[in-house]
Amino acid sequence: MAAVSADEGRRAIELSQEIQVARPRRYAGFVPYLLLLPAVVWVIAFTIYPLIAAIRYSFVNYVLGQGVVEFVGLANYADVIHNADFWHSVLITAIYSGIAVPLELVIGFGLAWFVSLNPPGHRLFRLLLTAPLFTMDVAIGYLGVTLYSPQGGLIDSLGHAIGLNIPWMSTAAGGLAGAILLDVWLWTSFIFLIACAGLAGISDEIYEAALLDTSSQWRIVRDIALPLIWPVLSIGFLLRLVESFKTFGLPYALTSGGPGTSTQLFTTMTYLTTLQFFDFGHGAAMGIIFLLLVSVVLTILVRQMRRALD
Amino acid sequence: MATSLWKSSPTRMRVVTYIVLVVAAIWVLVPFLWAVVNSFKDVLETYTSGAFIPFVSFTPTLASWQEVLSDPSVPLALQNSTVISLCTTAMVLILGTPAAYALARYQFPIQSRDIAMWFLSQRVMPPAVVLVPFFILMVNLRLIDTQIGLILVYTTFNIAFGVLIMRDIFRDLPREIEEAARVDGANDLQIFFRIALPLSVDGLITTAVIVFAFSWNEALFAATLASQQAITLPFNILASRSTRGVDFNTAAVNTLIAIVPPVVLSFFVQRYLARGLSFGAVKG
Repeated sequence: MAAVSADEGRRAIELSQEIQVARPRRYAGFVPYLLLLPAVVWVIAFTIYPLIAAIRYSFVNYVLGQGVVEFVGLANYADVIHNADFWHSVLITAIYSGIAVPLELVIGFGLAWFVSLNPPGHRLFRLLLTAPLFTMDVAIGYLGVTLYSPQGGLIDSLGHAIGLNIPWMSTAAGGLAGAILLDVWLWTSFIFLIACAGLAGISDEIYEAALLDTSSQWRIVRDIALPLIWPVLSIGFLLRLVESFKTFGLPYALTSGGPGTSTQLFTTMTYLTTLQFFDFGHGAAMGIIFLLLVSVVLTILVRQMRRALD
Repeated sequence: MATSLWKSSPTRMRVVTYIVLVVAAIWVLVPFLWAVVNSFKDVLETYTSGAFIPFVSFTPTLASWQEVLSDPSVPLALQNSTVISLCTTAMVLILGTPAAYALARYQFPIQSRDIAMWFLSQRVMPPAVVLVPFFILMVNLRLIDTQIGLILVYTTFNIAFGVLIMRDIFRDLPREIEEAARVDGANDLQIFFRIALPLSVDGLITTAVIVFAFSWNEALFAATLASQQAITLPFNILASRSTRGVDFNTAAVNTLIAIVPPVVLSFFVQRYLARGLSFGAVKG
């Protein structure tokens, strides 16, 4: 009896291995392409074409109503590279992202840690702390005008109450700080959510084992939780960073780029060049140069994502 | 899950945890509450600083709501935002879901992962780069300032979400169910529509909410491609900020109209959010 069942067992294993191997090779005809191609064709039509068109426009002088007037070679690029306003906007974008995103990373992870301890009520806290992610950035910037207003704005009044007189809307640094503060309010929720998902993947047994060694929660965070969720957290960080390079609505609604040009981010700059001055050639060249500047970060992101997606 | 850490925490640590979480909750709630309170004040009362409690420190009134909603651009923007976001969501699901299933289940000459990465790359590119071509394209197609123009653009920028999150969710479905259906004589399309789709409804709804919210909140293309007919809520806010300035009460009403719908929707789809917003890279 035993010999027969062992034989059967072996056959079953062989059979299942055969099926495993055979599965991906099964002929499915045109169906996979029927399912995949509409999306691919759509994306090619509406992104590859505009990207190629952007490169083309960056080499020409385009006049609205007349179309392409003349081929100007690299003149648009030369103009943009010598344009101090452009580099200023790149610098402001770098400062904005460089302050906001690390703050969001630290606060988001910290809050995720406390929520992941599963204290009573953790579901409600999770729901609340995720909510800003779905708010409209333009609306938050717009509301921010009233929050920072020297005529009874909430944040301004609270500042005065504790003796802090921050000139939010009237100085360059104040305007930028105000925009960054609201950016942190809105986007910390993104890192929070990603970190919660990462922390949920660490099993309780690991913590139980750690508790035999130490009772310091700080050491458990530093030596166990943080290294374990670092791959997840780094993807969240890179996605957030790339997203922050595109920032437009919040600072634009809050300050319209001011005071002066202190909150003139790259996207605002391009938007104004393109749509207020209808200077399409320079607008396109700005876009291409910026894409080259951020492509380092994009490359790192893409490499990390590629690993995570499989 | 760090439940055992909580159980072993000393009282001091538990108190610290709650203080941090309550402070964070207040920090998140304050702008919402500020908007709600101001939306029920009239203009004069918004200048009374410290008047935060309705009925006690001021008399709530619907005047600001009536004022905002009687401006014809607000109902128009609300209607456009709703139509554009819903159509975008439908388009993304119709195009993205089958592609996601194909990438999860079939082999192509190019690796599935690389096709997925290609979709993702559409999303990480700064949209300002293609602002000019889209503007000229829409002028040429006579789609400038139309709902269809914005739907086309938003569908393009959101397909990546649909493909990447749904691919991930389809990959998690046990293949045995689909194999069993195949044994029973179902063909590939039947398996997709009758087995895989119904089993992935949670993921579909989450994807829908994310795409809806991103379309609803999008400002750059709204400000670029709309002017009078196809104005959406972000456009309207930017326009009224520059033409009429900012009154506390009407700003509050405008803010609430703009932020409440996606936030409320998000409450119903907590499960796959992390997965969706990280394009499937983070299992939530």
